[in-house]
Amino acid sequence: MRKLGPSTRILALVALAGAVAAVAVSAAGASTNRHTATTITGAGSTFVQPLVSQWISPLGSAYGYELQYSGVGSGAGIAAITARTVDFGASDAPLSTDQFSACNGCEQIPWALGATSVLYNLPGVKNLLHMDGPTLAKIFMGQITAWNDPAITKLNPGVSLPSTKISIAHRSDNSGTTFNFTDYLSSVSPAWNSQIGRGVAVNWPVGSGGKGSSGVAALVSQTPGSIGYADVFYAIHNHLSYFAVKNSSGKFATPGLRGMLSAAQSDQKPAADNSLSIVNPPKKFANAYPISTFTYVIVPLQSSKAPDLKKFLFWAVTKGQTYGPKLLFAPLPKTVLVVAEKAIAKIHS
Amino acid sequence: MSTAELSAEATRRPFTGRRVRFGDVALQVVAGAAALGVTVLVGLIIWKVFEQAWPAIQKYGLGFVTTVAWNPVLGHEVYGAGSFLFGTMITSFGALLLAAPLSMGIALFLTELAPNVLKGPVTALVETLAAIPSVVLGLWGILVLGPVLRTTIEPWLHSAFGFIPLFGEPSTAGASIFTAIIVLTIMVLPIVSSISRELFLGVPHDLKEGALALGTTRWEMVRGVMFPYARGGIAAALILGFGRAIGEAIAVTQVIGGGVFIHWNLFSGGDTLGSKIAASYQGSTTKLQTASLIYLGAILLVFSLLVNLLAQWIVRRSAKKHGITRGGHA
Amino acid sequence: MSAQSLTGPNPRLDRLPRRKAVNRIMELLAWLAAAIAVGILVVVVVSVFRHALPALNLDLLTKDPIPFSLTNAPQGLANAFVGTIVIVGIATLMALPVGILVAIYLNEFAPASIRNGVTLVLDILNGVPAIVIGIFVFGLFVVGHGQSGLAGAFALACLMLPLVSRSTMEILALVPNSLREASLGLGVPQWRTTLSIVLPQATGGILTGTVLAVARVAGETAPLLFVSSFVGTQTEWNPIHALQTVPVAIFELSESPDPADHARAWAAALVLLLFILFTSLAARWLANRNRSKLTAR
Repeated sequence: MRKLGPSTRILALVALAGAVAAVAVSAAGASTNRHTATTITGAGSTFVQPLVSQWISPLGSAYGYELQYSGVGSGAGIAAITARTVDFGASDAPLSTDQFSACNGCEQIPWALGATSVLYNLPGVKNLLHMDGPTLAKIFMGQITAWNDPAITKLNPGVSLPSTKISIAHRSDNSGTTFNFTDYLSSVSPAWNSQIGRGVAVNWPVGSGGKGSSGVAALVSQTPGSIGYADVFYAIHNHLSYFAVKNSSGKFATPGLRGMLSAAQSDQKPAADNSLSIVNPPKKFANAYPISTFTYVIVPLQSSKAPDLKKFLFWAVTKGQTYGPKLLFAPLPKTVLVVAEKAIAKIHS
Repeated sequence: MSTAELSAEATRRPFTGRRVRFGDVALQVVAGAAALGVTVLVGLIIWKVFEQAWPAIQKYGLGFVTTVAWNPVLGHEVYGAGSFLFGTMITSFGALLLAAPLSMGIALFLTELAPNVLKGPVTALVETLAAIPSVVLGLWGILVLGPVLRTTIEPWLHSAFGFIPLFGEPSTAGASIFTAIIVLTIMVLPIVSSISRELFLGVPHDLKEGALALGTTRWEMVRGVMFPYARGGIAAALILGFGRAIGEAIAVTQVIGGGVFIHWNLFSGGDTLGSKIAASYQGSTTKLQTASLIYLGAILLVFSLLVNLLAQWIVRRSAKKHGITRGGHA
Repeated sequence: MSAQSLTGPNPRLDRLPRRKAVNRIMELLAWLAAAIAVGILVVVVVSVFRHALPALNLDLLTKDPIPFSLTNAPQGLANAFVGTIVIVGIATLMALPVGILVAIYLNEFAPASIRNGVTLVLDILNGVPAIVIGIFVFGLFVVGHGQSGLAGAFALACLMLPLVSRSTMEILALVPNSLREASLGLGVPQWRTTLSIVLPQATGGILTGTVLAVARVAGETAPLLFVSSFVGTQTEWNPIHALQTVPVAIFELSESPDPADHARAWAAALVLLLFILFTSLAARWLANRNRSKLTAR
């Protein structure tokens, strides 16, 4: 057979490339057609991510939704929904007035209740260790540097603590968990309040930063003697210990369902913007874990996906809550549920 | 001579049938459009980066570059590039300091010392080092290098040289400026060594053999002939390696630990311009914070451009110099 | 016979033992440097291999990830591998024609001043850090429209373009002028000469440059973090949506505390590494073959 001329060969190659491209594009188109599922995308808090991840599969079977959630931190979630790059955002920190106006027609809806555990890695010490607010603030300010500091040993009589150096793990990204934790430290330590304050990101005087709740858990796992903070699921899932923290009534509470629900009783009426503050509840809530928090979903009031979004959110605050307890998320209290459902109903196309 | 010049020649001596074809114009226009497009692209990149950084540039001006602060707390927001510029400098210079002698050694080995059977494989292996993606090196840095440095090297360096502020308290998490320097060295090494190797290969044989014939040892020949001859190119290679180091964001952010301060302790955490952007960009909540992060990117861009242009200029200058020298030896 | 033989004391010869010792030390240091470089490569590759073994199975390529899985259901990174194939493929389709056209213009048409200018522009583009390209594409395509695999492909194409152009230019310059002269002399128009005579000679070099560019961007993380990172767990082929990619998956898994996540990250890193090593070596072999083919004329 006569060899094809060079220009013919090039033309053939271009035609082949075009054919491949055409096949690829049609395959892409076909696969989206095969995906009769509606995609609902969200991004934000890593605090609530374990719970939201459990929702992916049952949502798919219940309504055929494909839920896509990226745990990028509360700050990033707020930024993403503000820019409308996702259908919903998730944040443990309520939005500020500036953030509300930037988001341009968004509302926040409490959709889960959890607790920030103060987790640590101290090999050789098996007891449940006690901690209180002022001591914790001093530790995170770098003023207490060893595990056998008198302030810590005083809280844990009878436990022999090593002289290991304390290393701090905090969040490097904008985090609602950081907001919750610093909110607590600001309310128990005037020094912390004036020098550092509360926020989704603060100027940490000491410590290394990890990205996401996973990052903090990773740092604590790798370094003996370290202390960090993250939603209690991350402590359990990674076999890390957490402190029992002293609440206002003097009791040392653990970040379990009882502690969260007791703390939730301290604020039963959401504010006009649906936010609630249950950090460091007053002493009549004897069983409260003082670093508990509600976490919010942030949605635009007007969305092209309104019907699906509403169905998803109604499911999340009702059926979805049943997936919570084994991950240490308490079901939403009745009063909060009512407010949430009213807020969800406001979403329109 | 390009095809353009050849065909221009041909038109000067026209013969029947020779005229400007539509196809010629079409190809030139299309190809020219592509070249123009690339130029526009680069301009667009510079413009888009500065446009997004503008709110921060307007607010902070050039003082941003030296301000050592990064406080994202609402109500107390203040941003500055100072500590990240410092981080970029210390990590990149540190990497260059470690990589330069190693690269020279490798290049010399490959050109002067290696037995022929080793030359090919070792060259390929060193260039393969350049092919390792930065995220894989970062993964290795977090999970393998970091713990090793934290448990063995850093405590040893601290106990042996602790009086130097560079070797202060060892890091507790394995993530530190020192880890970042090691990872960056691994990335810079193949670039500098492969360029140096080509330079050394280009040193004229008669110059080398002349020196050896005069009784110098091989090292003296290298020091007296090859280094001076290749001086410009080596400088360019080092500058290109430096450019690679300052631009690396991913591997650095994985291993550097994070922090906003100027510390001379290599074992503390820190951030570079690139690593800060990679760590904080997705989570930026206010417009000012986003603009400030992009301002960091703009500084990085200007830096890389300067470094690149400097390297180009050096290469051009030394090529000219050698052109004259070679011509003079006719 | 001593050094101080016939011509009297000779300082250079006297210092000869010391100079020889210095030379020896320098030679040893050079050997050591080479050994260190090879050693680092071996350590890293062996590390990746060793840590990747527990998770190296077919599930990695066929199953989607299950984040925060409470059971031990099989999972993998199928969505990331598919996403990388799609995004890198589209990036190549974007960068290749433009890169070749630029090289053709610079080598066949442009006067020297424009050639130098655009070459400088290409070098500048090559020197822009990948993270800055990410910021650029984010501002250009993502703000207001959302993330997409196409934006990711565009970012990677910006990174590939200088590599493709440069190697195409090099190979076009190697094509002997006699070929062009002969063709023009026979009356073939310039455009036909370029496309049918010169370009086919260069296909080997173009292929090499493309393969090298693909190897470079397959592992690129920074730009994709900004433009294609809000992704789901299910495998997705449509580039209109943001797609997960292997480097971003490795990046995210590397910061997890879960050893199972680490194992998957190592395994994905191994696959990525093998792909890149294989393509780089193939490209180098192709390049050598082409160079000898063209210069042997």
